Amino acid sequence: MSYKNISFEIKNELAYVGFGVDTSKSMTTLSQETLEELEKVIGELQGLDKSKKAKGAIFFSHRPGVFLAGVDISLINSLKSEDDAKKGCERGQNLFSQIEDLKMPTIALIDGICLGGGLELSLSCNKIAVSDNPATMLGLPEVKLGLLPGFGGTYRLPKKIGLPNALDIILTGKQVRANKAFKLGLADFIMPAERLLEKASEMLNAKPAAKGASLTESLASNFIAKKVIFQKAREQVLKTTKGFYPAPLRILDLLESTSGKRRAAAMDMEGQAFAELTQTSQSQSLQHIFFLTDNSKKLDTDKSKLKQVKKGAVLGAGTMGGGIAWLFAKNNQAPLMKDINKDGLELGLKQASRVFSKDVQRKRMTQDDFERKMRSIEPTQSYDGFKGVDLLIEAVVENMDIKKKVFAETEKYVREDALLTTNTSSLSVEEMAQALQKPERFAGLHFFNPVNMMPLVEIIKHSKVSQETIDSLYNWCLKVKKTPVVVGDGPGFLVNRILMPFINESAYLLEEGVSIEDLDRAVLNFGMPMGTCRLMDEVGIDVLVKVGKIMEEGLGARAKACSLSAKMTEGGLLGKKSKKGFYLYGDDGKSTGVNPEAQKYLPQNKKKMDETTIQMRVFLPMINEAANILNDKIVEKAADVDLGLVYGIGFPPFRGGLLRYADSEGLDKIAKAIEEFSHSVDKERYGLSSFLKDLVTQGKEFYDL
Amino acid sequence: MKTVYLVDGKRTPQVKAGTEFKDIAAPYLGHHLVRHLAGKHNIPSTEVDEVIVGNTGTPAKYPNIGRVIALEAGLDKKTSGYSVHRNCASGLEALSQGFIKIASGRSQLIFAGGVENMTQMPLMFGKKMTDLFMNLMKAKTATQKLSLLSQFRPDFLKPIVAIEQGLTDPFCGLNMGATADKIARELGITRQQQDEFALLSHKKAVEAQQAGKFNDEILPTAIGERMTQILSQDIGPRDGGTLEKMAKFKPYFEKRTGTVTVANSCPITDGGSMWLMASEEAVEKYDLKPMAKMIDYHFHGLEPERMGMGPLLATHGLLQRTGMSMSDIDLFELNEAFAAQVLGCLMAFKDSNVSKRWGITETMGELPLDKLNVNGGAIALGHPVGSTGSRLVLTLANELKKQKKKYGIATLCIGGGQGGAALIENLQ
Repeated sequence: MSYKNISFEIKNELAYVGFGVDTSKSMTTLSQETLEELEKVIGELQGLDKSKKAKGAIFFSHRPGVFLAGVDISLINSLKSEDDAKKGCERGQNLFSQIEDLKMPTIALIDGICLGGGLELSLSCNKIAVSDNPATMLGLPEVKLGLLPGFGGTYRLPKKIGLPNALDIILTGKQVRANKAFKLGLADFIMPAERLLEKASEMLNAKPAAKGASLTESLASNFIAKKVIFQKAREQVLKTTKGFYPAPLRILDLLESTSGKRRAAAMDMEGQAFAELTQTSQSQSLQHIFFLTDNSKKLDTDKSKLKQVKKGAVLGAGTMGGGIAWLFAKNNQAPLMKDINKDGLELGLKQASRVFSKDVQRKRMTQDDFERKMRSIEPTQSYDGFKGVDLLIEAVVENMDIKKKVFAETEKYVREDALLTTNTSSLSVEEMAQALQKPERFAGLHFFNPVNMMPLVEIIKHSKVSQETIDSLYNWCLKVKKTPVVVGDGPGFLVNRILMPFINESAYLLEEGVSIEDLDRAVLNFGMPMGTCRLMDEVGIDVLVKVGKIMEEGLGARAKACSLSAKMTEGGLLGKKSKKGFYLYGDDGKSTGVNPEAQKYLPQNKKKMDETTIQMRVFLPMINEAANILNDKIVEKAADVDLGLVYGIGFPPFRGGLLRYADSEGLDKIAKAIEEFSHSVDKERYGLSSFLKDLVTQGKEFYDL
Repeated sequence: MKTVYLVDGKRTPQVKAGTEFKDIAAPYLGHHLVRHLAGKHNIPSTEVDEVIVGNTGTPAKYPNIGRVIALEAGLDKKTSGYSVHRNCASGLEALSQGFIKIASGRSQLIFAGGVENMTQMPLMFGKKMTDLFMNLMKAKTATQKLSLLSQFRPDFLKPIVAIEQGLTDPFCGLNMGATADKIARELGITRQQQDEFALLSHKKAVEAQQAGKFNDEILPTAIGERMTQILSQDIGPRDGGTLEKMAKFKPYFEKRTGTVTVANSCPITDGGSMWLMASEEAVEKYDLKPMAKMIDYHFHGLEPERMGMGPLLATHGLLQRTGMSMSDIDLFELNEAFAAQVLGCLMAFKDSNVSKRWGITETMGELPLDKLNVNGGAIALGHPVGSTGSRLVLTLANELKKQKKKYGIATLCIGGGQGGAALIENLQ
């Protein structure tokens, strides 16, 4: 008897339960339908158990590379109340407990990804076997959605692998590879994927290897040790989440109180905690970001017609160039890295080497792979070999004439079908396109610094670019695991344009007498990864002056740059690169405190401003500018703005993105506050966007668009 | 026979052992040369028939370095790759294999060259220690193991230096330097003559470096433990040497009466070189502009204890084979393993009284100094053993091109008692 999503058959007195029958979906998940089918299957297994007609049950997947990717997230998203959520949990918990209660031995054969509910199901089996396929990944990622595992995972995982390791997996949501899973004791067997089914019956009956409790495990079972473990974990969680995310703390509370409890009680508490978390704004925001991200990974076109990138090239080494070369090398696209001198090339090599070295230190990369990847980058001062290049990314100095010259020259040495792109952050892509004979294969491809850390890439269109070029670049970004956003040409494109008023208003606040410490604290307390002054130091204060000018030229009076950064640049306070800006920096690049010299440029008399006002002063103009951007059709959807800001500047994910945050606060309230600032602060800088005004009049939200 | 083209070649800088290349595994002294040449000439990764690489130190980790280089260079997995070993002429052997395959019509596109990391040649356990390890593995009981361990003596740990063994002739038992000393005393070549020749080699090499003459043949190579620096010049040529300084070196091989010193011998060196070779069809198909034609090659054996005279016999054989004479040849690259041995060859070329000792009864003709190693030789530039053969051809082809001359011979002596030589014709 088989179902649409699950196969069920009995062979040689063994029951085989196979997931992944329906291959029309991109992933095998525990959907509503699959869960219903699973209930029936478990019912049958219970019958076989009573009649003793089966000697074991084997859970496997028909689909190579995927076991179960977890509970369908839209199912979670549809839980509209705590009660709903609690009931949903109970249903899954009961189902998996029924598996656990079967008298016949059970085993899960995992080849490929096995996450969330998929792993919780496997944990309810007596044994777990994993394939040594590199795609095999086990994890409980619920915390990343502001939730916790709600199908018995918080109860069963600590029992299987001990409290400290379980905490590590549940709190971080990290995925572990097959080898690691085996070492942790999460998997009882490891073997090539092709052998899993063949060895299943043997494994079902094998006596588990007697493992003596490890030192940490025996320590962890001690009452006092437990207290210490939870205390340490709590400190760590607070340090990383800064208290913005409730789920990890809730997980700690839960595990502490269920420790040693019976199953029924533990499940009840788990269900309650899960249910409460589903209704938090943080979880809903994180789910929102998850959906945005997931959607951005879909490219609605025939991928076989797109240009494939086998070899990359970067023009202009340096920090950005080196970062881009790293990205090519990491993805086996052995790049040519061209610069006009050896110093530039060495700077680029250093950048790439620094990132790869970190992987070696963290044992994510072997020394051999390090050598191979580094040596796949070819530093060069000539155009030899550029005929083989599929994607070229230019990252030379930000100067229109130079860039135009470079492209005019480059075009002579590359194939006609090579994709040519510029990593400009501020110059007009439209104008640059004029330098090319074949502008249809040209576009902007704007990375954020540092390339290895920042997921966002802005793909910038211009009037002559072909859709094929945009799609091919989009597809490449996805392949190299970046988050692309397609944007129109215009000053600062998407992210930097929204960042402009944020940085500018911060500078004006400083000039008004708000202290560096108060400003940065307010911004951090909003949830930004760093304060504005720190951000300015990171970017380089001289760079801000340059970009500020371009913004002002392009956007007019509302982007009038605050003179503070120009003055500081003149005084040699350039930020981190000169080891002094708003803060001082040591040789290791770490901040050593506020720079007293910066006070020279700031008013003597400090003004106390309450935190909320500071936050409104800097974040409201961002919302206003985002509305202008939608008005100018730089991007089409609010979702693009939110993706851009979360992945480009680390806008706090728990707020769901800038515009979702605006929607949740209420656009009328926001518009009113902006208008008030236009009277009290500056008419131009806080001039309400007509687009935002219209939304308010129509009673619409950004996400209604 | 079909025409064999030497399309283009590149090499790494040649670097004194133990310095800048000490961390580079041997395949990485060649893979980027292949990748660069394939990219530069737009050769699809699927269209290369063969990668042939000379290497003598055969690192235990890379038994077939040719295949490793093919894969690391990004050539298609179907590309055949192998390694050749003819001691000092391994790089020339690789070119010769490529020559035969293309000349016979069997192959169209071949990468041939050589790599050597002499720094990374290992220290090995001696036989006593190895036997002890083996027996320990076989031993079953603790008592057996203990009794075996009790046989251990500290001198078991004295390592065998692979490079030292490799440079000692197994047949006659002489070190390569000692064979040069033998030639020097038999032909009456003085210490001063050798030192003067060595000094001249450094002078020419330094001048060539300063004039940027190696820029066309060297592909800059990333160096350093983290590969963050770029090296684009040979490390070896020395400026400001004098005969007085040279005279201070003690004879290294025949310590009491010898004349061969480390200063008038080539240094131990790391480096790699590579050629893209092509048939007529491939040249047309990929619109290539070859640097040179490889006309023929010749290898010849002689007594191991006088291996340094190899170039004499190899050149003689090559000229006979091609029907040419010494005066037809515009430029020579004669490898400077030892000054004594080069000087010995020069004597024999112009004097049948000398050459007849090796069975050459006619006078072949003088090899004037202005045709010989015009950019310096291995005494200054070094001798990465597996690579030198193809490196000589590369330097020769570039110099023929610069001087707009036609014919050149690259020749070298080979440890174990052989000589090798190749004749090329400049097409540029």
